[in-house]
Amino acid sequence: MAARRNTKLVAIVDDDDLIRSALHGLLKSIGLPSQTFASSEEFLKSGRQHQTACLIADIRMPGMSGLELQAKLNADHCRIPTIFITAHGDERMRMQALRAGAVEFMAKPFDDEALLASVRAALEC
Amino acid sequence: MQSTFQRYALAPISCGIALAVAWPIDAPASCFLLAVMVSSLFGGLGPGLLSVGLSALAFEHFFLGRTIPPAVEPALYLRFAVFLIAGLVITALMEVKRRVEQSRNRAEEDLRQAQVDLARVSRVTTMGELTASLAHEVNQPIAAAVTDANTCLRWLKRDQPDLEEAREAAARVVKDVSRASEIVSRVRVLFKKGTAQRELVDMNRVIREMVALTRSEATQHSTSIGAELAPDLPQVMGDRVQLQQVLMNLMVNGIDAMNDARQTRELTIKSQRADHEHIQISVSDTGVGLPSDQSDQIFNAFFTTKPHGTGMGLRISRSIIESHGGRLWAENNAPRGATFHFTLPNKAGTHE
Repeated sequence: MAARRNTKLVAIVDDDDLIRSALHGLLKSIGLPSQTFASSEEFLKSGRQHQTACLIADIRMPGMSGLELQAKLNADHCRIPTIFITAHGDERMRMQALRAGAVEFMAKPFDDEALLASVRAALEC
Repeated sequence: MQSTFQRYALAPISCGIALAVAWPIDAPASCFLLAVMVSSLFGGLGPGLLSVGLSALAFEHFFLGRTIPPAVEPALYLRFAVFLIAGLVITALMEVKRRVEQSRNRAEEDLRQAQVDLARVSRVTTMGELTASLAHEVNQPIAAAVTDANTCLRWLKRDQPDLEEAREAAARVVKDVSRASEIVSRVRVLFKKGTAQRELVDMNRVIREMVALTRSEATQHSTSIGAELAPDLPQVMGDRVQLQQVLMNLMVNGIDAMNDARQTRELTIKSQRADHEHIQISVSDTGVGLPSDQSDQIFNAFFTTKPHGTGMGLRISRSIIESHGGRLWAENNAPRGATFHFTLPNKAGTHE
């Protein structure tokens, strides 16, 4: 737990390249380094999940969805504070995500201030 | 498909075989008729006639003058004449059979083409697919642009603004918006297909195709579909796929409107001449009818009474009809249900 808090790595998982670079750029502007992944599978294969202090993930992706990724991480006892950003946002999905331990659930386009606030909150977990 | 040479070669080959068989058993008529059958069935009209000719020649040469002295009995010539007639009749019958099959194949091909058209229409259709996927796709670069623009502002709002970073962020905004624009123009291409995709369209045929295609959907909803088509309906100059799209939209709307109807569910499509220059198509249902004070509002973008409707269907249908020089409107039926009418200028009425 302590080790993770020290490294403060933020991981971004989204299949859209423009969203990845936008989020990376936003986090850089407040001095937070981040790593981007084009898919849940890429993230899991990287082994970085154990150093990730906060995960920002899209829900609907080809392959493993954001919610499935969350479930997999929970099953592996790798609880990472997760913020979901998604183009589709319905209430049922929001409840499902929050119940599975998500920190926040945001629709695109999102308020950058709100996102950063959630990231800061996640990093304090 | 055999080559022409192969087809015509059948004639002399089958006649040769027939001759070889007929000579020893002295049964020229049967053998040559068989040869004619084979030639016309597998070769076609030309080879069939050729085999009749060759058989007649062989018949005449080898069998008619066989007796010594070469007596010419009338009976023999009668046989010859009967043989000739039989040969021609067989050839004709085979040709008829082949024509029937060809038209059946063409009908199957037409149906297949209509299904392909429908698949394309369904993909590009206004029934939610297009707008939903467009909305999702274009939302991504827009969200990225908002983030990148805000990031740019953050770099500039610092006590020590980092111009290099701000510039990079601004460049990302340009990239994001260009991607959004690309998506929109891709959709426009799908839709428009160029201004001059006009051809002569038989609306009765289009209606029949659409009815055939939506029949299974209709039976699933316990709805009957009927068509009352004017037999002398003139053709129109238009974009076939777009007109299919409009019909599809109106028909599906009609079926949906009858979802809760407890009495008979009937969808009727009617075609008729409207005046000297126009035809009129009407799609009627026995469903919920139009909201009384909003009968023209239903054509506005984003107006929908369906829980998952996008509200684009009628708007786009009206645009299509108007771009063809027609009008689309709706009215309530008595006792219940609604009818959507649209007019199209017929070929004579089109000013090009």
